[in-house]
Amino acid sequence: MARKIVLCRCEDVTLADLEHCVSRGYRDIEEVKRYTGFGTGPCQGKECLAPMATQLARLTGKTPAQIPPFTSRPPLAPTPIKLLANAPEAHRFEDDPT
Amino acid sequence: MTPGASDDEDDEARADLSGEIRLPATLDSSGELPARAEIAIVGGGVMGLSIAYHLAHNDLTDVVVLERGYLAEGASGRNGGGVRQQWSTELTIRLMQDSVELCRRFAVDLGVNVWFRQGGYLFLARSAKEVARLEKNIALQNRCGVPTKMLEPRAAQEIVPELDLTGIVGASYNSTDGILFPWPFLWGYARQAAAYGVRIFTQTPVTALAREPGGGYTLDTPRGRIHARRVIDACGAWSPKLAEMIGVTIPTWPIRHEICSSEPLKPFLRPMVSELASGLYCSQSMRGEIVGGVTIPGHGSTYAMGSTLGFLATYARRLVKLMPVLGDIKILRQWAGPYDQSADGNPIVGAVPDHPDFFLACGFVGHGFMMAPIVGKLYGEWLTGGAPHEIFERYNLARFASGASAAHEQEDFNIG
Amino acid sequence: MAVARRLPAFDPARGEPVEVRIADATVRAYPDESVAAAALASGTRVLSRSLKYHRPRTFFCLEGHCSGCLVRLDGVPNLRACQAPCTQGAEVEGQNAFPSAEVDLLGAVDFLFARGLDHHTLMTGSSVLNRLANKVVRQLSGLGKLPAQPARELPEVGARVVDACVIGGGPAGLAAAIACAERGKSTLLVDDQLRPGGSLRADPRGGRDAAEARWAAARAAGVEVLARSTAIGFFPEDDRGELAIASPDQLVRVHARAWIWATGGYAVNLPFADNDRPGVIAARAVGRLLVDHGILAGDKIVIVEVPRVAREAEDLEAALADAGAEVARVPLADVVGARGRSWVSGLDTVAGRYECDLLAVAAIPSPASEGPRQHKCKVELDPDAGGFRVVVDEHGRTSTPGVWACGDLTGFMGTDAAARDGARVGAGAAASL
Repeated sequence: MARKIVLCRCEDVTLADLEHCVSRGYRDIEEVKRYTGFGTGPCQGKECLAPMATQLARLTGKTPAQIPPFTSRPPLAPTPIKLLANAPEAHRFEDDPT
Repeated sequence: MTPGASDDEDDEARADLSGEIRLPATLDSSGELPARAEIAIVGGGVMGLSIAYHLAHNDLTDVVVLERGYLAEGASGRNGGGVRQQWSTELTIRLMQDSVELCRRFAVDLGVNVWFRQGGYLFLARSAKEVARLEKNIALQNRCGVPTKMLEPRAAQEIVPELDLTGIVGASYNSTDGILFPWPFLWGYARQAAAYGVRIFTQTPVTALAREPGGGYTLDTPRGRIHARRVIDACGAWSPKLAEMIGVTIPTWPIRHEICSSEPLKPFLRPMVSELASGLYCSQSMRGEIVGGVTIPGHGSTYAMGSTLGFLATYARRLVKLMPVLGDIKILRQWAGPYDQSADGNPIVGAVPDHPDFFLACGFVGHGFMMAPIVGKLYGEWLTGGAPHEIFERYNLARFASGASAAHEQEDFNIG
Repeated sequence: MAVARRLPAFDPARGEPVEVRIADATVRAYPDESVAAAALASGTRVLSRSLKYHRPRTFFCLEGHCSGCLVRLDGVPNLRACQAPCTQGAEVEGQNAFPSAEVDLLGAVDFLFARGLDHHTLMTGSSVLNRLANKVVRQLSGLGKLPAQPARELPEVGARVVDACVIGGGPAGLAAAIACAERGKSTLLVDDQLRPGGSLRADPRGGRDAAEARWAAARAAGVEVLARSTAIGFFPEDDRGELAIASPDQLVRVHARAWIWATGGYAVNLPFADNDRPGVIAARAVGRLLVDHGILAGDKIVIVEVPRVAREAEDLEAALADAGAEVARVPLADVVGARGRSWVSGLDTVAGRYECDLLAVAAIPSPASEGPRQHKCKVELDPDAGGFRVVVDEHGRTSTPGVWACGDLTGFMGTDAAARDGARVGAGAAASL
């Protein structure tokens, strides 16, 4: 049975994957996110951002306080398109004048 | 409960990839800047890295790339990955034909998967005027050998069964256009360039740039100073900021474009779909997400890349009208990136008059990514002793001063 | 073997049972519980397969924040089973596995790449192989299929203008909202769970009653509570700055003079070998199943814990034992890895192997700082606090004017301290208005 320490459940990123990424020279948390894919799945980092950042600090010889989080973007939870379509903020193009 | 004895199985609990060949690191995270380089490329986006790779591939390896942020921080890391040949000017069409070929070969040439999928591009028209515009462009594309076709709405629906045809009067479709995943391009170019000996520094902004009296330039960064005989300004939307340090004015400005992606879905959408009326575009990525955006009129010139509810709402409204079955699909994340808008809609490349050995690669108005493979190749050939391609003349900065800009065709299909 | 079962002595005031269909089986459930709870109680084990290595996946946090319980519900893909209430006749299916989630042929990938897989460089040796790889990857990609129908309607959008908006209805948020409302401020409370109460609903000491009582107190104090609603973003550029809330039936746009974030901490995993095995579930989820749903998640339960949450682990151990389970507690430092195939069967430690049918992971809750980060509040990674805690002064003020934070969000403190913190910060925020 393959044994893996899974740090990002959504994207299947293991501790070994993180070590490999850092060994390639990608050490900024934003670079690590993109290279490993951690934090880009349905949970958008809720489960994995802090654990990954803590491991990244250890692997790059930094203190935890020196590791920033990656950018927080909306929506903070997966949001159905239908909920957004009638918001008054929507720009109405010429063929949709209501 | 008390524990029992364990198995004898070997403990890979601290599983690592040791035992594999260790590749050299791609990025120079902590190294010192060299004192000199033949060429300094400022900007480590896809344009700068493509140029660096092609220079080194043509045996010019004394090159340094200076990226002010993390790799993929700029527009190169924020775009939707579209690659098309449907344009309104011959030069752009022909360049993109070459770029598509380079994209096809990228994974094997550079050793990194980019998931390039030629599922086509479908542009939807909602008026006779839009149809006429498409037909005019198609005629030109066909003359160049791009097999774009004009379609009746029903034929468009055969390609995308989820389309609601209400209000759609026609469509253009080219099956050889496609979609790629942007980030791996940067890793691929960077990895091979580094393997050739190019030094790539991230988190290294250029804080000052000056001409040296005897020729060449000095570039100051927080990591130290470097002298370079030639400098390439590949800073995308930020290109004018570098150029103005030596008194060069570039007529481009940033326009924020927002974009978002949905939850991953099993594959269903073959082409990139775009509607002219709103500038909406969307496609399904290799991860299964629907990635798309829409043009918000009134998103003015800014470097600020925040996200708005206005964008989400506008995109949602247009998308659910176009493909109603997506109503229950969820948006996972929105972000934004800068289009590098030029005064005449055409790129600005080549040498800068009165500034020897200073070169530009900007003004691509949101399609710099898809042009980077070919532009990098052309720069790589030229600056290592080859003849310059016509774009370095046609799209030169000099056209604005001489008034020749108006005489050139202007690209009007800068959509999405 | 998964042996989750309903405790017969649990409070019978659950409403009429309903029937839901879970992967072709008809299952008895209650309208006030989630599809996930009903599925677990009826023996559902594996729900899906992971993206890259196709490892079996199932419930983990049961709070709507991980991605363990995604299912197709009534023809809509990628819904969190733990946030979906049980309605009569609901149809629940798994996703992303062939021929089923339990038996997935692509699980071989996990064995083939025992050490790991860099999918960036996979199969780049030849163009033929690469084109094939592209095609295969695309076919394998994605989690759920398109919905069966277009959405029935596009709802209208609501709006609120209030003095104080509290985001998070756990012990801190409820206390903060009550404090504001008692001081005469118009107060909106937003909570994303099926019913408010947050970590109170997982706390064996107070149980369900404590959560219900505080929720009732909030309503009595005049707080408007939006349940099952998630703050999806603070948008500074829209309408002079507004919070958008996704409720089940509509979007609500909120303007407030004070924003009080009390989103607590996520129940996260701990790093050990095969920590993603089905049956490795957050300890707080195990507590929630017991306390709020009357479901005992296993018969032989091992709690893996870190010292900072020892008190919570002790309370959980006692409650599980009272309910009839055999329980052991193991510090993370002693853990080697989980064993089992499609469900956990044991835990290897430095002292030997424990047989178990459930592994409850007690980590320090990780501060849910995404919302405050959109206000540009300062955060700091502090492993002893659980993760990226929101930095506040002694009044609960963040680095952004008009924005407060309280409870576990500012660093783990536990339910009692969170309630006191919320009351204090809410009072201070109200006084400032």
